[in-house]
Amino acid sequence: MIVDFVQNTLDGIFVGSSYSLLAIGFTLIFGVMRRLNLSYGPSIMLGTFAGTLLFVEFEAGLLAVAAATLAGAVLAGVYVERVCFWAIRRGAALASMVSSFAIWMQLEEIVTVVFPDRTYPFPPLADFALEPGPFFVRGDHLVMFACAAAITVLLHLLLYRTRFGLALRAVSRNPAAAAFVGINTGLVLFSAFALASAIGGVAGYLIAAADQQITPFFGLWATFKGLIAMTLGGMGSIPGAIAGGLLLGIIEAHSGWYLGTEYRDLSAYAVLFAFLVFRPGGLFAQRQTLRSQLAARRV
Amino acid sequence: MLELRGLSKHFGGVRAVDGLDVTVERGQIFGLIGPNGSGKSTTVNLVCGVFPVTAGSVSFEGAEITNSPPHVALGNGIARTFQNIRLFSELTVWQNLWVAQNGQESVRSQGFFSRWLSGNRGQRASVEEQLEFSGLADKRDEPAGSLAFGEQRRLELARALAARPKLLLLDEPAAGMNLEEVKQLDERLRWLNEQQGITILLVEHVMELVMGVTHRIAALNFGRKIAEGSPAEIQQNQAVQEAYLGRSEEEGDEGGGSS
Repeated sequence: MIVDFVQNTLDGIFVGSSYSLLAIGFTLIFGVMRRLNLSYGPSIMLGTFAGTLLFVEFEAGLLAVAAATLAGAVLAGVYVERVCFWAIRRGAALASMVSSFAIWMQLEEIVTVVFPDRTYPFPPLADFALEPGPFFVRGDHLVMFACAAAITVLLHLLLYRTRFGLALRAVSRNPAAAAFVGINTGLVLFSAFALASAIGGVAGYLIAAADQQITPFFGLWATFKGLIAMTLGGMGSIPGAIAGGLLLGIIEAHSGWYLGTEYRDLSAYAVLFAFLVFRPGGLFAQRQTLRSQLAARRV
Repeated sequence: MLELRGLSKHFGGVRAVDGLDVTVERGQIFGLIGPNGSGKSTTVNLVCGVFPVTAGSVSFEGAEITNSPPHVALGNGIARTFQNIRLFSELTVWQNLWVAQNGQESVRSQGFFSRWLSGNRGQRASVEEQLEFSGLADKRDEPAGSLAFGEQRRLELARALAARPKLLLLDEPAAGMNLEEVKQLDERLRWLNEQQGITILLVEHVMELVMGVTHRIAALNFGRKIAEGSPAEIQQNQAVQEAYLGRSEEEGDEGGGSS
């Protein structure tokens, strides 16, 4: 009994670490721009198809596939930034969200036209497993967790130990003032977007390698997981994105085991709904941001 | 140094600035005065590229810079402060100054790593200098938002100076200050002008400051220049007296300024 519980929790944490990565990408964009990018998942999906193309056509190795996935995700992400965010940066936030939805459909269309077979193979990453005591841990899940942890640490260093990170935080808090201290806000937003897409590319690669297959619906799946994890954790907060991703993974693992897999997504939505009603700010509600925004309005 | 020629900005039917000609010479402290809504803040905003001009031109050191975006204007050597303080309130005092070094010529021309990652010792030293100058050294690790009002004003000035500007635009720096603080500001501006060679365009309501510190003053009303001259000439000027007559000099947003 207790073994099942612990095993489920472990599975949840491992799978959840990939949700955390997706949520970090989401929250980075939202935190800096205060705009939602629905096309985040589909641009990662495009990246994974770039990887699978190399694998299927040229039998490329692990590194080449990973690099292609990353590059594809960043290119698609940057395209989304130019079209949906930069081009309408003076427009309403809603306009960006709607156009990112339109680009989502476009990316999905492109992929289904170029790859008509729907399901494509993706090379596995690590074909080993650990069995500490009664537990079972997949090797690719371990790699997933290690990558998520490493990216979190690197991102933290970038945001809190470098001047670029400082510029990014300055732009997210007060874009007008940032421009007046010499920060090219457009360039910083663009870099943040590329960074988020790169993190998404890593997540996409790890997930596709664990599943060993890829479909155009991966975009929808990734946007949903990232969005739900971000909302659970608190929009715009990076610790929140990590916690939200892990929480989502754990909820899914337990409900899948105790209630049956058909209830897995349903339970995730139920928890999301409960959060939206009782704690709309998420686990790491950004009270401070809210307060300073109010103060700014008052002045 | 700074030349505004026929500068105009219309918001719908409102002519916030209307055909303004102003020349600020190098080394001057130039005052821009006028009743609320006369277009002073809008003028500053046009110089910094907050919004596009309706007509006219802005040139700086002989080169036309009309409609340059804010970070480009700063790169050219034009820094500013705001009527309503705009610090990064969650960042510490030190970080506010550190991030503002982006505007500095010597930092911009540096390699990627030095500029974006950690900066070099000289850059860190110059932040310390700014901290000393603004008397905020002991508050370096406090969030800017937690400082007292006067300290926030000093930090904002220090942040503008972190970019090592040639021209400093000050939008009502004395607003809300008591007489003692105004006196300190007066000394500070003189020091910047005389010792550091920074040209200053000062938009201000507080006449004790403007009349004492400036070399030359332009008075605006309804977006037009109604007089220009030395402080003494402006004080005697009939048109200026009429523009101010019967008006209360209350603080607050100007009608035309969107800052």
